[in-house]
Amino acid sequence: MEIRIRGVSKYYYSDGKTIKALDDVNLTIPSNKIFTLLGPSGSGKTTLLRCIVGLETPDTGEISIGDDVVWSKDKNISVPPEKRGLGMVFQTYAIWPHMNVFDNVAYPLQVRKLPKDEIRQRVAETLRFVQMEGFERRPATKLSGGQQQRVALARALVAEPRVILFDEPLSNLDAKLREETRKELRAFLGKLQITAVYVTHDRVEALALSDSIAVMRAGQIVEIGTPQKIYFDADHRFVADFIGRANLVKATVRAEEGGCTVVDCGLGRIVCQHRDIPVGSEATLCIRPEFIRIVSGEAPAGSNLVNGRIESLVFVGEAYEVEIGVGAEHLLARIDPDAHLVEGDAVSFTLNPAHCLLVAI
Amino acid sequence: MDSARTRLTWLLIAIVGALTVCPVVMLVLGSFSEGLTAFGHFTVDKYVQAYTDPGFFEVMVNTTIFVLASSLLSTVLAIFLAYLNTRTDIPFKFLFKIISIIPMMIPHLLFTVSWALLLNPSNGLINLGLKEVFSLDSAPLNIYSMWGMILVEGLLDLPIAYLIIAPAMASFDVALEESSRVCGAGTWRTLLRITLPVLRPAILAAFILGVVRSLASFAVPSVIGMPGRVHVLATYLYEMIATGFATDYGKAAAVGMSVLVASVTLIIVYRALTAESEKYVTISSRGFRPSVIELGKARMPLFGLVSLLSFVLIVLPVAVLIYTSLVPYSMVPSAKAFSMMSLKHWTDVLNDPISLLSLKNSLFLAVVGATLGVILSIFVAYVIVKVKTRAAGVLESLSYLSFSFPGIVIGVGFMWFFVQTPLYATIWALLLGYIATYLPYGIRPMSSAFVQIHSHLEESSLVCGASPLTTMRRIIVPLLIPGIVSGWILMASMFVRELTLSVVLSRPGTEVLAVQILRFSEDGLWGKLSALGIVMILISTTLVVMATLVGNRFKAAQG
Repeated sequence: MEIRIRGVSKYYYSDGKTIKALDDVNLTIPSNKIFTLLGPSGSGKTTLLRCIVGLETPDTGEISIGDDVVWSKDKNISVPPEKRGLGMVFQTYAIWPHMNVFDNVAYPLQVRKLPKDEIRQRVAETLRFVQMEGFERRPATKLSGGQQQRVALARALVAEPRVILFDEPLSNLDAKLREETRKELRAFLGKLQITAVYVTHDRVEALALSDSIAVMRAGQIVEIGTPQKIYFDADHRFVADFIGRANLVKATVRAEEGGCTVVDCGLGRIVCQHRDIPVGSEATLCIRPEFIRIVSGEAPAGSNLVNGRIESLVFVGEAYEVEIGVGAEHLLARIDPDAHLVEGDAVSFTLNPAHCLLVAI
Repeated sequence: MDSARTRLTWLLIAIVGALTVCPVVMLVLGSFSEGLTAFGHFTVDKYVQAYTDPGFFEVMVNTTIFVLASSLLSTVLAIFLAYLNTRTDIPFKFLFKIISIIPMMIPHLLFTVSWALLLNPSNGLINLGLKEVFSLDSAPLNIYSMWGMILVEGLLDLPIAYLIIAPAMASFDVALEESSRVCGAGTWRTLLRITLPVLRPAILAAFILGVVRSLASFAVPSVIGMPGRVHVLATYLYEMIATGFATDYGKAAAVGMSVLVASVTLIIVYRALTAESEKYVTISSRGFRPSVIELGKARMPLFGLVSLLSFVLIVLPVAVLIYTSLVPYSMVPSAKAFSMMSLKHWTDVLNDPISLLSLKNSLFLAVVGATLGVILSIFVAYVIVKVKTRAAGVLESLSYLSFSFPGIVIGVGFMWFFVQTPLYATIWALLLGYIATYLPYGIRPMSSAFVQIHSHLEESSLVCGASPLTTMRRIIVPLLIPGIVSGWILMASMFVRELTLSVVLSRPGTEVLAVQILRFSEDGLWGKLSALGIVMILISTTLVVMATLVGNRFKAAQG
């Protein structure tokens, strides 16, 4: 089920100031894909999700789910959340404490007045799907965080909603459990053909789970794309910086050569991935730490070769995190843990033009 | 140090045990005795007499209706107010705070009297007004009835029910409701299947506390019930021991036993429920601002209702008392009434030796009683919070036991005790009874003060080189002062207005304010009553205001 959002704005008023929680958002969420809204806190991602569900009322614009307009300022349409036929997993899971697991999951079906036998059967199926069989009679207050998360997912799925929405569903779990649950969730969602909208501020979660990511800032959508596109090929400096660790270097565009853009910067002359930026203008060169490769001897053809000096070296287990000084620039790099380097060593490293990203300033 | 602590614990168990268990034991023994003068001669006659009395059945029925209906009224009103305050955009939310604090200002007895002044059938102000406006022959409303008792008791118990329900609603995770909406349930179904059931422990706790309080209530049954001949257990007991020719403390003890058992049982249920409701509390981690329900067109009418309730709860009683203390007899406010106003009732009261004596006694009990009570509370709270042995647990249970004591019943127990001692009919009997009954009110602020003093604060002072005595003087006592002050003022303001225990223990010469006011009420001396009542309100309000100011000051000082 496709979700179309047209010109949606939402304002909050506090202390006499107007805060634009959503600023003229236009977005189409494709059907049967996992779509993530990613952004720092206060970027409006949760507000947008709540507008889709109907828990928040936008001030302008139109939202439609499939063929139904669920909210429209101009047409004066406002479908309440209970009539939108959606499923949602809340950040706190919102498992009702006075009910057991069965009643929690059966609730959407009971509300729809389905026959008892069918309810029992579908609840059992859904609990099997989320691997919570045999927990039917368990009181809600006696569930662990991971179990609550699964019950919440089961409850969101049981009525076969048109769309399922997730509001930071992993942020209340501890780090290890979060990683496991993320994998599980990916597996569950992979098996379902369902449109999923997922809100998070965790970039790893967004990259690992999504088919498509929309990065938000200050109530606006900055960029939309696949995880790979967002990570390797972002158009905006904010996106490149937010989605992963990046070295950002000021650069000036000098030429277009053989399908690449060439810039001058503190690292010298660098050949970058092609961008339509006029020659002579300023840009930011973005290099991810894991694409800085230490070499000894000749650089592979077509790569940029840069010389620098190791300024600091921190062992973090799976790698060394190294700060390399090149002139006035300092680059963060991740290198093999078995490299024999010490502070002060002179090093050469290569930068593949495909991973030298130019973004607007 | 440990042996000193153990000794202290056992000493306190002995003192608190004597104060709280002794009246219960005496009540039990008394109920099996022939009479006050024939203590110790075992008999079950009193039980047989008490429970086969033909009037007893009616009293039980009345009591049941009275406590259930008044608790229902207060709980429903409290849910309504708490919902408006925590979940909607109703204006002037500070009113709700005022509604929850006034019971500290206006003693129950005076609140009840003011309603009698307004709605009694012979010269109630509202009745007089209605008779004039609609030219009726007889008074249309009669407060001296079951519905009058339910109305006034329900309003009196409203603040305590609100104080239990409002925090539960405020800490309610709105996502629980939102997820129900997303699951396809409408507003009403969500309210009935999610909101109210999740709040059920808090709502039930408020209801049960209402039952306990109305069961122990004496002001309403005596001022409103007795003139209307609607008897409940409290007044039934009172009549056995205070009026008529043959007072029968044995029978009173036998009846009191069932009130005590019911009350203690309900308090146990209440404590289990509050524990349950804490388990249900699910504050969302992110503190998403709870969605405020826009009331729209209903906003102003609902606000009007809340204002009316605040007016009825706060302004009306005081205004009626002031007015009545100034006019010579009951009359509807008019130019004539205002021209006849005088300070006659005030001068009468201030020249009345018994009123002055009761004022003196009440002030003495408040100052000396609260001081002794707080000193005892400091030690008890210290042991409860800092000494975590099994004996300390026993002490905690003992010290909260009296929370469930209905004053008049425990008064009968004390009576059985004091008659055997030279304390009988002295002010010291009242003093001991007060401290025993109100000990939990002193211990609570003290123990929360002790909880705040983390042992590291004490230990780091010791490590810094301060002696235990210096640590006590420089660290612990300064941190305790807010608790001591608020505990003292709370106890003092309760002692100033104490009624239920006093009506049993007070004797000629040991009259206290509330008892004297009750006497005026029984004699229909409304003007004098109002004047003395306002004196009582002034003392009690001053204490509460002082407590608030001191509390704020210490909060500011501690940043």
